[in-house]
Amino acid sequence: MFQTHGIPTVKNEEWKYTSLEPLEKNIFELVKDNKLADRSALFEYCNPQEINIVFVNGIFSADLSNLKNIPSGIIHCPLQEAVAKDLPKIKEFLTKYDPSQKTPFAALNEALNSDGLYIRADQNTACKELIHIVHVTSASRRNSASMPRTLMVLEKSSEATVLESHLSFDDKAVYFANALTDIFLDENATLHYCKSQKESQNAFHIGQTRVWQERNSNFDGFSFMAGGALTRNDLDVVINGEGASANLNALYNMSTTQHVDNHTSVDHRVPNGTSNQLYKGILNQAARGVFNGKIFVRPVAQKTNSYQLNKNLLLGKDCRVDTKPQLEIFADDVKCTHGATIGQLDEDQMFYLQTRCIPSKIARRMLAQGFVDDLFSKIKNESIHHKLDKLVQPSFQALE
Amino acid sequence: MIEIKNLHAQVGGIEILKGINLKINAGEVHAIMGPNGSGKSTLAKVIAGHPDYEVTKGEIIYDVNFKKINILELAPEERAREGIFMAFQYPVEIPGVNTSVFLRAAFNEICKHQGAEEMDPIDFDLYIRKKMKLLNMDDKFITRPVNVDFSGGEKKRNEILQMAVLNPRFSVLDETDSGLDIDSMRIVADGVNKLKTKDNATLLITHYQRLLNYIVPDYVHILRHGKIIKSQGKELALEVEEKGYDWLS
Ligand SMILES: Nc1ncnc2c1ncn2[C@@H]1O[C@H](COP(=O)(O)OP(=O)(O)OP(=O)(O)O)[C@@H](O)[C@H]1O
Ligand SMILES: [Mg+2]
Repeated sequence: MFQTHGIPTVKNEEWKYTSLEPLEKNIFELVKDNKLADRSALFEYCNPQEINIVFVNGIFSADLSNLKNIPSGIIHCPLQEAVAKDLPKIKEFLTKYDPSQKTPFAALNEALNSDGLYIRADQNTACKELIHIVHVTSASRRNSASMPRTLMVLEKSSEATVLESHLSFDDKAVYFANALTDIFLDENATLHYCKSQKESQNAFHIGQTRVWQERNSNFDGFSFMAGGALTRNDLDVVINGEGASANLNALYNMSTTQHVDNHTSVDHRVPNGTSNQLYKGILNQAARGVFNGKIFVRPVAQKTNSYQLNKNLLLGKDCRVDTKPQLEIFADDVKCTHGATIGQLDEDQMFYLQTRCIPSKIARRMLAQGFVDDLFSKIKNESIHHKLDKLVQPSFQALE
Repeated sequence: MIEIKNLHAQVGGIEILKGINLKINAGEVHAIMGPNGSGKSTLAKVIAGHPDYEVTKGEIIYDVNFKKINILELAPEERAREGIFMAFQYPVEIPGVNTSVFLRAAFNEICKHQGAEEMDPIDFDLYIRKKMKLLNMDDKFITRPVNVDFSGGEKKRNEILQMAVLNPRFSVLDETDSGLDIDSMRIVADGVNKLKTKDNATLLITHYQRLLNYIVPDYVHILRHGKIIKSQGKELALEVEEKGYDWLS
C-alpha cells in the first residue's frame, strides 16, 4: 500500500491541514537494538513497582519490564506468536476492517513491525492494577524508525486499565514512531485506556488506535499529546453492539512550532449507542493544532446519543487551529450535538485574578490549568493522573 | 488615605469620567450614588486598574507607609497588594479554578509582599472558615470553582469573603447590595462593619438608601455624567431616594 500510494499529500482530504513534507525529507531506518542508556529517567517516569511492559525502539525489553504482578486472567505474548498460535479473537479481529479503508501508515506498521504485543483479559477478569505499556525511543541512533504495535482483547465482562506511553528521554532526538493499537471490547467489557505521547521535540509521531466495541461495552479513552515536531493521532471507534458507549477525551498541549493533528471517527453501526468526545487544546507560541471529528450514524442506528466538543485555548500570537466536525447522520431518531470554540485567555478573568493580588504570570497559569481541569477530573486512575500532571506542569510553569 | 484629583478617563475613545475630585481619609465611609451609566463602575475599575480604561488626565494619590504614591503607575495586582480592593458589580466566573485554591494564592501574595511567611493549606482552611462564619457562608462554596453556578447573591457574598480574607485598607464596593435579599444584605453589611477599623476606608457604590441604614456613611456623593455634582452628609441619600436626581445639577 505504501509503495503504491506513497506518503499522502495535503491534496488528500484526510491530510488537508498536515503536510508530511518534513517527514519525507528524512530517511529513517528501523533499528534492531533495544538498549536504553538512561534507565533512571525511565524509572522516574514509570513506577518500577507497577506492571510495565517496555519496548525500546519497538522491541520488547524483558530487562526493563516488570511483569511479575500481572494477575491471572491477563494473558500477554508477542503478537507474532499469538498470530502463529491463532489465539482467541486474532483472526476475527485482524480481518474485521475493510482493507481498502486501511491508512497507509497502518499498512506500513503491519508490514514492518517485528515485535508487537498481544494482551488479553479473559472473561470476567477484573484487573485493578494499571498496565503500563511503554514505547521509548533511545537516542543512541539518529533517524531511527520504530513501529509500536499493540493488540488488546477484553473478553466478555472483563475490565482493565491500560496506559500506553510514547516517549523519549532525549528531547532533541530525530526519529519516526509509527504506532498502531487495536482494541477489541467484547460484550460488557470495560477498558480505561490512556495514550500519552511525549516524544522528543524533533520526532514524528503517527499513531492510530482502532477500537471495536460489542454490546454494552465501555471504552473510556483519554489521549494526551504533548511531544513531537509533527503528530498525527487517529482514534477510530466502531460501535458494533447495542448499548455500547465510548468516551473520547483528549488534551493536546503544544508550543514552539509543534504541529498536532487529531482525527476521531465514531461509527455507530447499531441502535442505542453512546459516544462523547471532548478534545481540548492549549497552543502556545507558533504551535498548530488540527481537529477533525467524524461521527457516522448508520440508518439502523436509531436512538444513538453522540456528543462532540472541541475547545481550543490559544496562548501565543502565532499559533493557529483548524477544527472541523464531520457529521454523517442517516438515522432520524438520534441525538447528536457538536461544537467547537477557539479563544484566548479571558481578559475579565485575568483582571479579576489580578485585582486579587495575583500577578499576571500566575493568573495565566491558573487559567490555563483551569481550562484542563474538567478533562483531568475524568481520569480516574490516580497513577495515570499523576503521570500526566507531571508531564503537563512544566508547560504551565513556562507560561509568561 | 486616598485622593483622586481631576480624574479624566475614557474607554473606546469616549470620555466617561470628566474630572473627578474625591478625598477619603482613614476611618471614613463614603457613598457614591448616581443614575445608571453615570460612570460609577468606571471609577471603581479605574481605581483597580482595568486595562481597558485609559486615564487621560489627573492622578490618584494613595498613602503607602507614610509616602504618597500615584497608583495609576501600578499594575492591578500591585495596587491590590498595597491594600486596594474592589468588589465587582458583576463578579467574574472562573471555571476550573477552585475557590479555596484561588483565595490562598491571593492571600499568600500579600504575605509574600509583606515579608511574612506563606500560610499552608491546613492553617488557611481554618482561617477561611472563620471568615466564612462571619458572613454566614456555607462551607461548600470554597470547594467549588470561583463564582461558577453561584446565585447572584452568593457571588456578592463571595466578594465580601474575599475582602475579609485580604483585609484591604481601601475598599470600593460596587453595588454589593444589589441582588441581595434583605437578610443577606444585613449579613453582608454586618460583615463590612466588622471589618471596619480606624485605619481603613470604604467607598460604597449603591442605588439604595437602605444599605446606608446599615453601613452609615460619613459622606454621600452624587455622580452624574462623569462628575461629582454634590457632596453632603448621609441625609443626601434620603433626599435622593425621595426626589430622584433631576432636581440636582
Ligand atoms: N468597556 C466599555 N466600552 C464602552 N463603553 C463603556 C465601557 N464601560 C463603560 N462604558 C460606558 O460608560 C458609561 C458609564 O458606565 P458605568 O458602568 O461606569 O456606569 P454606572 O454608573 O456604573 O451604571 P450602573 O448604575 O448601571 O451600574 C456607560 O454609558 C457605559 O455604556
Ligand atoms: Mg455600575
